[in-house]
Amino acid sequence: MPERVDVAVIGAGPAGLAAAVAAREQGAERVVIVERAERLGGLLPQCIHNGFGLLYFGEDLTGPEYERIFIQRARKAGVESRLESMVLDISPDLEITAASSRHGYAKIKAGAVVLAMGCREKARGALGIPGGRPAGILTAGTCQRYVNMEGFIPGRRFVILGSGDIGMIMARRLTLEGARVEAVVEIMPWPGCLVRNEVQCLHDFGIPLLLEHTVTFIHGETRIQGVTVSRVDGERRPVPGTERFIPCDCLLISAGLIPENELSVRAGVKLDPATGGPLVDENRQTVVPGVFAGGNVVQVHDLVDWVSWEAEAAGRNAARFADRGSMSFRDQVRVRAGENVKYVVPQFISGKEEVTLHLRVTRPGLKAALLLGGKAFKRFRSVRPSEMIIEKVDIGRLSQAVREGELRVDCRIGEEA
Amino acid sequence: MAEETVICIGCPLGCRVRVVLDRRGRVAGMRGAQCRQGEKYVLKELKEPVRTLTTTLRTTDPEFPLLPVRTSRPVLKTLLLDIMKETAGVVLKPPVRCGQVVVPDVAGSGADLVATADWGRRGRGQTRE
Repeated sequence: MPERVDVAVIGAGPAGLAAAVAAREQGAERVVIVERAERLGGLLPQCIHNGFGLLYFGEDLTGPEYERIFIQRARKAGVESRLESMVLDISPDLEITAASSRHGYAKIKAGAVVLAMGCREKARGALGIPGGRPAGILTAGTCQRYVNMEGFIPGRRFVILGSGDIGMIMARRLTLEGARVEAVVEIMPWPGCLVRNEVQCLHDFGIPLLLEHTVTFIHGETRIQGVTVSRVDGERRPVPGTERFIPCDCLLISAGLIPENELSVRAGVKLDPATGGPLVDENRQTVVPGVFAGGNVVQVHDLVDWVSWEAEAAGRNAARFADRGSMSFRDQVRVRAGENVKYVVPQFISGKEEVTLHLRVTRPGLKAALLLGGKAFKRFRSVRPSEMIIEKVDIGRLSQAVREGELRVDCRIGEEA
Repeated sequence: MAEETVICIGCPLGCRVRVVLDRRGRVAGMRGAQCRQGEKYVLKELKEPVRTLTTTLRTTDPEFPLLPVRTSRPVLKTLLLDIMKETAGVVLKPPVRCGQVVVPDVAGSGADLVATADWGRRGRGQTRE
């Protein structure tokens, strides 16, 4: 007989912890977090830098401090955890199969499930860089773990490919620890990180950011010896004659994050190709009844604060589902990403109550206007793909904007950035 | 007269603010900031650029070889590398509580290095279920 719980949460990072606490506060009796690592917290313990919690707590916290508060909340709220347990499967009728060297093979029947698996980094394989396959090529997050938790630095001279936030944070960290960061190489004409990270991680230390450049060859047989970097044209193709060699003994990849959804798909959850995460409604329910999702598994956030908030909504609604045994999927209105909008979350809404839209633009620009249903909703001095736009839409504006079961979202740009 | 450019980090706009300095290094003019808060930030950044330093210190526990720490308040940007050098040899013994001062007045900055995680005799901040 499988063990019965009210809400099962997959993953014990910031999303899982927030979802579990919210589910308990909503009245769910047994809330269990299933986590493959040996401890709670997910990746927060390796994110030793500050900048967490500015929105959620109004305080500038480091990753470990942010984690500590949520772990304490989870304990206080009576959240149970099953550590060192790898979830292998979630069935559409909400039965979870997990394997663990500590607990053996386990089946858990849940009243509702919250997906909180977070995301993973794109690695070299996803980028298709020609050259050898030497040691010394790793993702920025792996390097972060080595430097901040395990206590060693995997090289002396670094090149960083991609200007994602983790790579920028590591550029600063490695420089402070005495390594040299030769360059950050970004294929797009604009940086992929927050402004504060560009200034405080690169400019502060004089680290060059090569925009519209990419790594076109990796040199070295056993250990990486260096990379060839080329300029790219408007189509992102390398321009012949612009190659130059940069010696390095370590290449960090910081080229973006992908929501981790192998389990979701097994459960029958449908994904949005634009986010890489599940299609969700405003309750953060997926298309599988009783399966909810929150945090970076849904969309890659810029700030952990929003991960926590989104996961809380998922946790609360999972508790409601577990209590009532059902909750309709709100697909009365399809939210559609229009001009210069890469995606909008949630993808489905009821259209009957106020909703918070999360979206990203495709291209940066100045004097931008956010349009809902073709009508101007809000103006921005500047928009960038690296900065998520989050807007609450009240019921009045919403009902004006919905046409034939669709809410179209555009972001028109007045001037190119 | 000299010119300096400061990028404001207050919002996604990231204004590039050009500042004109007179011979004594005082701000004579400023162009490019789109809001008052940006102007304030730029003045502060020119006069006294400060940052919160976060780093790790060695511990005696091979299972948790590092403990994360931060400065108790932002310190002058020019002191960051001095603090790293001064604390390179520090080794901590348990227990350490989150918020505990582990290096007072680090590198003469006036700020303390403070632990940002608990580290008990049984491991870092965690007890097993």
